[in-house]
Order: sequence, then C-alpha cells, then structure tokens
Amino acid sequence: MTANPGPGLYLHLPFCSSICPYCDFYVLTGDPARQRRFVDTLIAEISLCTGGRWPVVGAESPVEPFDTLYLGGGTPSILAAEELTRTLEALHRALPIDDDCWISLEANPEDVIPANLDAWRQLGVCFLSLGVQSFQQQNLDFLGRRHTAEQSHRSLELALGAGFHTVSADLIYGLPDQSREDWQHDLELALALGPQHLSCYQLTFHHGTPFGFRKERGELAELPEEAQAELFLLTHRFLAEKAFEGYEVSNFATGPEHRSCHNQKYWDHTPYLGLGPSAHSFAGHHRWWNRRKIKPWETRLEDGESPVESSEHLSPTDLAFERLILALRTADGLDLESFRSVYGVDLLSANLEVADRLQVDGLIRVDSGCLVPTTRGLAIADTLARSFDITE
Amino acid sequence: MNTIRNFCIIAHIDHGKSTLADRLIQRCGGVEEREFRDQILDSMDIERERGITIKSNTVTLNYKAQDGQEYQLNLIDTPGHVDFSHEVRRSLMSCEGALLLIDAAQGVEAQTLANLYLALEYDLEVVPVINKIDLPSADVEKVREEIDEDLGLDPYEAVLCSAKLGTGIDEVLEAIVHQLPPPAGDPEAPLQALIFDAQYDAYRGVVMLCRVKEGTLRPGETIRLMHTEKEYEVEEVGLLQLKQVKAHQLAAGAVGYVIAGIKTVRDIAIGDTITAAERPAPEPLPGYKEAKPVVFSSIYPMSTDDYEDLAKALDKLALNDAALTYEKDSSTALGFGFRCGFLGLLHLDVVQERLKREYGLSLLLSAPSVRYELTLEDGSEITVDNPTLFPDPNHIDGAAEPFIKAAIMMPERYIGVVMELCRERRGVNTTYNYLAVGRVELTSELPLAEVLFDFYDKLKTVTQGYGSFDYELLDYRPTDLVKVDILVNSEPVDALAQLVHRDKARPRALRYCEKLAETIPRQQFKIAIQGAIGGKIIARTTINAYRKDVTAKCYGGDITRKRKLLEKQKAGKKKMKVVGAVEIPQSAFVAVLKADTDN
Repeated sequence: MTANPGPGLYLHLPFCSSICPYCDFYVLTGDPARQRRFVDTLIAEISLCTGGRWPVVGAESPVEPFDTLYLGGGTPSILAAEELTRTLEALHRALPIDDDCWISLEANPEDVIPANLDAWRQLGVCFLSLGVQSFQQQNLDFLGRRHTAEQSHRSLELALGAGFHTVSADLIYGLPDQSREDWQHDLELALALGPQHLSCYQLTFHHGTPFGFRKERGELAELPEEAQAELFLLTHRFLAEKAFEGYEVSNFATGPEHRSCHNQKYWDHTPYLGLGPSAHSFAGHHRWWNRRKIKPWETRLEDGESPVESSEHLSPTDLAFERLILALRTADGLDLESFRSVYGVDLLSANLEVADRLQVDGLIRVDSGCLVPTTRGLAIADTLARSFDITE
Repeated sequence: MNTIRNFCIIAHIDHGKSTLADRLIQRCGGVEEREFRDQILDSMDIERERGITIKSNTVTLNYKAQDGQEYQLNLIDTPGHVDFSHEVRRSLMSCEGALLLIDAAQGVEAQTLANLYLALEYDLEVVPVINKIDLPSADVEKVREEIDEDLGLDPYEAVLCSAKLGTGIDEVLEAIVHQLPPPAGDPEAPLQALIFDAQYDAYRGVVMLCRVKEGTLRPGETIRLMHTEKEYEVEEVGLLQLKQVKAHQLAAGAVGYVIAGIKTVRDIAIGDTITAAERPAPEPLPGYKEAKPVVFSSIYPMSTDDYEDLAKALDKLALNDAALTYEKDSSTALGFGFRCGFLGLLHLDVVQERLKREYGLSLLLSAPSVRYELTLEDGSEITVDNPTLFPDPNHIDGAAEPFIKAAIMMPERYIGVVMELCRERRGVNTTYNYLAVGRVELTSELPLAEVLFDFYDKLKTVTQGYGSFDYELLDYRPTDLVKVDILVNSEPVDALAQLVHRDKARPRALRYCEKLAETIPRQQFKIAIQGAIGGKIIARTTINAYRKDVTAKCYGGDITRKRKLLEKQKAGKKKMKVVGAVEIPQSAFVAVLKADTDN
C-alpha cells in the first residue's frame, strides 16, 4: 500500500471528551444527540459533492477514486459506531471510493474497548492512530489528558491485538523540564509494545490555547532551543536504532508500508478533499477551507450552501515553495529533476553557495538525485526552507 | 545713527535666552499677541523642541525709551551651541553690545565664560543680566560674586529680571539704550557690510542678513562679495521685524536683509564683506574664516530605493546650510549614500533629524569620524576622514589628528571624576583653577575624536548634570592611528570600519562585535564576528547556529500558514544586507552604529 495515486479524503469530526490545554485544532465537546445532528450536517456536505464534484470552481476534480480516508478531529473514536457507519455509507453513495481505500482513524485510549475495535475493523480502518501522548502518569497529568498511564498501555496492547494493518501511537515530548531520560523512557515503553508507527510531536505552546496563555503570562516556559534540539535528535537517533524510519519530522514507521499514506498526500501535493468544519482541501492550483466553527458551518449547510469559507490560488512559485518546504521535512527529500521539470527551477545551481555550505555543515545531502535533509537538517527544516531561493 | 543699538544675547544653554528675546519682542510690540508663540525666533521645529537656536535670526524692535526718545533695537539672535561658533562670531561682529545672560540659580557656566571672551574679543560692551530671579533656588548675591570674580565685570551694573514672569524687562531695555554704544560708521564711505547669516527662500533665492559697517546699501546697485569675488545686483533691502519689511536703503549702523538674485547659500560665504562694485572698499572686514566641517559620517538610505530622495533632500538642506558638505559614497553592505561633513555632532544630529522629519527618510549613519592628516612614505601629505579610503598602513609614515581645548566648569567635588574622564579620553595638559570658592574651571587638550561620541553625555553623568562644557579647535597632533575592520564570517563590513587610536581599538571593536552578536539573527551556520587591525584579530564573538527550528505538525491547513510565514521571513531576509553569506538586518547596523552614543 505504498503507491496511492488517487486523491485523499479527510473528515474533520471535531468532538472530544475534553479539550487538551495544548491543542489548537478546532474541537468541542458534545453529547450523543449533538453528535448525531453534526453527522446529519456532515452527510449534507458529503451530498453536495455527489458525483465527485469538488466544491471550488476552478479546482480540477481528479478523476481517480479516493484511495485514502482519514477520520480526524477531534476524536472520531468518541462517535458511536453507527454514526461512523452512516457517514461512511454516505461517502460511498456520493463519491468514487476505491475498494482498497486506506482508512485511518484517530482514537483516544479511553475509547479503545473490544467492541469499538471490532466496529472500526468492520468499517475498514487499517491505520489506527492512538492518542496515548505518554505512558507516564505525571506527563499525562501535565498534558491534561483524561486517560491514565495504565490506559495508555492497555489501549495500545488491545489495538495491536485487534488485527489492524498498522497501529500508531501519538506521543508528545519536550514538556517543560523534561529530561532526555524521561523522554527516552516513554519511547522505550512504546516500543516494548510493538507498534508499527509512531508520531512524536514536540510540544508547542500555541497562541490562543490554555498553554499559550500560561506561557504569555510567564507561567510556563518552552524548553530552551538547545534542549529541544537534543530531544529531537535523540528521538530520531534512538528510533533509527530500533529500526524505525523517521520518514517525516514527527513521523516514524517500521517500514514504508506502515507510513501514513494519507498524510503523504499533504506533503507531495496530491489532491485531497476535506469535509467538516475547518477542513482544508487542495487540488491543482487551489487550496480552500471550510468555516472553522461548527455553528456557521452548520448554518451554511442547513441553508443548502457550501460551507467553504475561502480559497487561495497558488502560483507556480507558491507551489514550488510549498513543495520545497514540505520535501525538506521528509526523509525522501526533494527529487531535484522532477522539481526542475515541474517548476523550471534548478534548485542547486540557483543556490550554489547556500547548498554547498549546507552540505559542508552536514545539514543536507544529495542522494540519488534527491536533496535530502540530514537528521540535524530536519531539526531546522524551517531554516533550510528559508535558505533557498526559488525565484529565477 | 545714535538711536540705533545692535546687540545680541549670549548665554549658556538653558539660561533663558529665547525667553528673554520673546519678552523684549513682546514689550516692544514687535508681534501681535495672537501671532506670538514661544521661542519666536526659532523657526525650525527642532530648535523649538530642543530649546536650541541653530540659525541666527534677527529682529528690529522699535522702543520708546523712558527719556521719550525712539530707538531702533536690532536684536541679533545667535546660535547657542559650540558647533555653530562660526555663526556666533559673525553675529557678534555685527553688534556693538551684548547682554550676557546668567541663570540666577546656576550661575556662571563654561559657555558663559567662553561667550564673554568671544564678546570681548570683538570689543563688545557687555551688560550682565541675571535671569530667573523668581526661582526659589535663585542666589543673586552669589551670582554677583561670580560676575565680579569669574567674569571681571561690574556686578552692580547687572540687571535683574525674570524673563519667564516678564519682570525687569523695562530695566533690560533701558540698559540696552543707555549702557550699550550706538554704532559708528560713515554712510558716505565705501560700502562694507558683513554677511552674518543667510537664508534660502524658495521664491526669492538667498536672503542675506547683514550689518552695514560703512557706506549705504541701496537697491539697484551692483555689489561685490569680496571673498568669493562675485557680483550681483541688489533687488531689495529691508529690515527684519519678524517679517521682512522693505526699506529704501540700509545705511551704516543698520542691520537688515539683502536680496540680490543669488541662487544658493553656497554662492556666498558667511562672514564675507559686501562692497559696491563701483566704489569698492579697499579691504574686506576682518575675521573672515571659512566654516570647515570637522565631523564626517556617511549617510545611507535604509532602503536603496530612497537614494534619489536622499540626494534631493540633501540638495535642499544645503540650500540653507552652507556648512553641510556632501559627496557620493558607496558601501558594499549598505549601497549608495553620501559622505557628509558637519560642524560638529549637534550639526550632524540636526541634519539627520531634519532629513528624517522634513523629508520622511529612514537613514543609516556610519560612525562619525574626524579628518586625519597622514604623511605617506613618499613624503606626500593627504587627509582622510573616511575609513574606506584609509591607505595601506605600510605606506603611512605618520598620522595626526585634531585636538581641541576643552573648558569644563563644575562644582569642585567633581574634579576627580572629570580629570579621570579626560585622562580616559587621552586628554593632556589638564589643568584647573578655582574661579570662586567651590567652583572650578578645568581645561584639557583632548583629541576631537574622543569628544565626538559620548563625551558630553559622560560628563553630564559623572557631574550629575552640573558640569558644563565648551571647546575650541586647537591644532593637529601626531597620533597612533589604526583602521579597525569588523569582519562577519571573515568578510569585512565596510560600513562598520573605523579609524581609531590604537589604544581604543580593542574596546571599540569588542563593543561592535557584541552589538552585532545581539542583533544578527541566528542562521543555519555558526557566524564568527571579529574585529581586526589588518590581519590581526583583536576582538571576537560568535553567533551560534540554529539547532531546532521546525514546526512539529504540518498537515492540510498548516501548509498555507507555514508557507505564508516562511515567505514573510524570506521577504524580511531580502531586505537584509548579505556579507560573507550572512544576512545582516538593518537593525543590526542601527544598533551597532548607535552603540557609540549609547554607552
């Protein structure tokens, strides 16, 4: 399941049992009745796309069927199984979906019970992404998670025994004052259970989140950069030793077949359609996004209107720059020849001095025609992206 | 002519000169109440804000004295800062008398003394005026003592006033009439008129302010400027009564303006003598000295697109500021700009301020430098004020730098710290004498370069505001001059190079390096910042590379945000100057070049 040339489909299911203090996604809590009403509206949005029509004029609707489906949020796992089933049935009615469609679902440890696991398997989920965040209680407490360290263990164990193609654990590191040992311990606990995939996100205090406010008030401090760098490198090096390939800044898989096929599409400009509040879509030269909040999103759909809030047209330079930004975040790097043929920019000759310097400093290398960030390079991928000039 | 009095007010800064002028003008009805504003003679915003006078100004007042006689009083307002001492001299030469204004609380200060000496040099009759007698801290008796002991003037001639409250103004006016002499001169003699200032008027060209010493100036006559040897036809003459008031002639003793179709102030010289082309005076009036810039700095526009605007702005400023010199200059780091010469730091400040305010330009100024005299090994002599033009040290036989004589007055208790300050600044022949009990005048011969940066601020700090300072240029003296280069990743940043005495090279270089390290953003590689003399590194700092700079999540909606953020940062980079593959933001230059005056 490595080559998925078709477009991807993303559903934003914004419900969570509680809102984590670090999260800057659009989420809310809601009872089952509220959730049912939401799914009704979502199905209405899906119906607007009947026949494979993409909602933005000028966006080139791909002809291939969707071959990845990502149920994200929020926490899709808190939705009752029948709501998920209703949603998927609606999708199949409205859109061309590949028989072998790769389906991913984000789940909270507290929702991982045998009945749900069975239901998700029934839905065709092959990639289960578990938001365990940590296996240590004090870290979970700090992060404001509702599940316990015990549940982190249990859920991962259960999920791994349920027959999914890939089970992934989401982990968060870089907590204030976190030591190398503490973080490595979390990684070891995860590996002991044998997941095929890990997403390790460095904690960021986003503006507008409770952590963000506490940081702005001076109550919380991010780790100093040097310590952040250390933990980042530790993560990549440690996991590499354990045969996990760090295929993206925050993503690790035991083999190419266990990578997140859907996320891959975000990084290589494969078209994707996002439905639900705040969902983003992309095709050809356009990116567009839905109303961010559930209320206006619902109102629009109830009035039979498109919930798209806005769109942007990407110039070839925008696309080239995005391509560069995203590729420099991945272990596969940037295929220089394909970049040249698509965007007409010979990246290395246009940036001789910089490229040379970055290679000498061990931040990038050129490997079988690809410009590849080293691990140290990945740690400063934003700086790398800024270093290159792509205008002729 | 007996009813004319030409006088000026001389004072230490802040002793109330502009306020006294305001009161005299008001008392003589020189201005309608509704047109009146404070510091009326200071027309530039900068003058008002800083409470300083930069351009000379003149006003003719009609005063009916207590004896019933009508007098014409010409008040010639002089600049109050040492940078503009050439203008002060010219103004003094136009007067017969001076009011020496002394703050009743502060007493005699360095500039009071310096100004008195100047006035005496020009044979002016001096009347001391004690101002601010309304202040609770006023100590008139003590000031009288100082007038007697420090100034050698008759303390009982001193007039007491409070310009602020308007008390004693009549007494000041009577003193002007009765204690200051009328002008001498023969209206029939060959014309000699002293140009003591000039202003540029967009419609009329140059308006010269002059004092007629001998003869008579009339419209229609052809005049000759004796030093520049140019001839013009007089279009109009008149008196300055805050506005120009046309007159049919200016006879010996008069102070007024002359318009003669002159295009820029560069065509004339302040201090030059106007004579008649028909019947010229045998000699110009004495004391003419060209105003030479002593401080030099390169001015660059922040944005290279503004170069043309800067050029135009300088052209316009120069129309009215003959002392400002400028020529094209260019820097690899900062692009095209101008090398400008100034009379002193205040002049530099004023020009910079006016370029910013009146022309809306954002500017970068290189570190100010004095002009050095170099003797090369082939025996030839050159002058250098721009570090980029400094020759290979191997070809230099010797260097000399300008020295000044500084006069510093302060209460006795500060003498230790001030002597130390002078020593730090390479002062020699530092001596002091007691002017009165507890008051000391210290003189020191200092390199001008040492005074340029922050000497005055330092002096104010160490004397807690009680020290006052004045200086005059002395001569050139041998010096051990080196050029300090600032290198970023081994590449020199030309705009940051400077000429300094060898003993000062290391601390200066270190300060620059540290400031740069604070302000250059980190990049993907380590950046070495060094100060060097020739190939020898004398200071060094390092900016560490970025170690972690990556967003954890980058999925659907994050991508647009990320691209826009990075684009914005990249756009910021475009405005940076690249030296040795290192991007240096404008703010770094600003911070470094300001560092000179910070500390």
